[in-house]
Amino acid sequence: MTPQPALNTSPHTLQHPGPVSSLRINSRSGAGSRHFRLQLEPGLSLFDALVQPLAKVGVQSAGMVIFGGYFERLDYCVGQVDPTQNALFNYAAPRQAGAAYMMAGNATLGKTHDGLPAVHCHAALRTQAGEVKGGHIVTEASIVGAQPLVVLVTAFDDFELRVTFDAETNISLFQPHHEKVHA
Amino acid sequence: MGRIAFARIAPNEDLVQSVEKFCMAQGFKNAFVRGALGSLVDACISTANGQSRHITGPALEVVSLGGEVRTGPDGALRAALSGVVADMQGNLVGGPFVSGGNLVCMTFEVTLEEWLPERASV
Repeated sequence: MTPQPALNTSPHTLQHPGPVSSLRINSRSGAGSRHFRLQLEPGLSLFDALVQPLAKVGVQSAGMVIFGGYFERLDYCVGQVDPTQNALFNYAAPRQAGAAYMMAGNATLGKTHDGLPAVHCHAALRTQAGEVKGGHIVTEASIVGAQPLVVLVTAFDDFELRVTFDAETNISLFQPHHEKVHA
Repeated sequence: MGRIAFARIAPNEDLVQSVEKFCMAQGFKNAFVRGALGSLVDACISTANGQSRHITGPALEVVSLGGEVRTGPDGALRAALSGVVADMQGNLVGGPFVSGGNLVCMTFEVTLEEWLPERASV
C-alpha cells in the first residue's frame, strides 16, 4: 500500500452534549448476504424507488451504492451549526439542485424505531445549473428521472439497522441490532 | 466473497483506523467497502506529491467513499479509503483519506464485505 503522508495539522475532537458512550464502533456481521442489482423506477421518489422493490424481496436493511443518473428533481442539505443547540450540528434547509445528475451516492436502508422504512443517503451531484455539489439527499422529495438509475444493494439478513436515539450526540441515528422489530 | 458486516462509528473516532478496528472485531482479514456515509469534523486527504491536504469543517459530509482493507505481510490490517467530502456550502473535495486525520463528527455508517483471496481463481 502507498505510504501515508504525515498529518500537517492536529485533528481536534468535539465535545457533544451527552455522555460519551463506551461503545465506539458498534458492529454486526452476517454469515452471508444477498446482493441485488436494483433499477430505480423513473418518476418515483428516491425513497420509494429504493424501499418498495426491496421490501418485495424481503430486504429491510442494507448498504447501497448508487451509480450515476439523472433526477427530475434532486433536493439536498448541507450541515450547519444547530441553532437550537440541541445537538452540535443539524441539516440546513434543503437546497433544490433542479433536474440534476447524481454522480455517485451511498445510502443505508433500515427501519425507524417503530418498524417503518428509513433511508439515509449522501451523494455527489451536478446541479441543473452545472455546479458540482454534494450533501445529504432528501430522498422523499427527490424524483428519479426518465432513465432508471442502478443501485448495488448488499442486504443484511442476520441483523437489522434501526433509527435509535443516541444520548452522546442527542440525535437519532442508525445502529445495528440483532433483534428485529416490525411495524 | 465471505461475510458482510455493518458498523456505526461514534464521534471523534478516526475513520480509517476505525474501519481497521471494525475488521479486527469481526475477524475479517481482508474486505471491500460496500457503501459508507457520514460526517467528519475536518478531513485530511493525501495529494499526488505525497503531502497531506487539510479540509476545514466542521460537519463535512462524506458523500462518496470506497476502498478496501488488507492484511499486510506483517499481519497488520490497513484500510485504503478514498472519497469525496462536501463542506457546509456543499462544495466538494476528494482524495485518499489519511489515517489519523479524519475524525467522525456525528456518525459514520460503513458496510464491509469480507474478501477471501484464497478462494479467488486468478
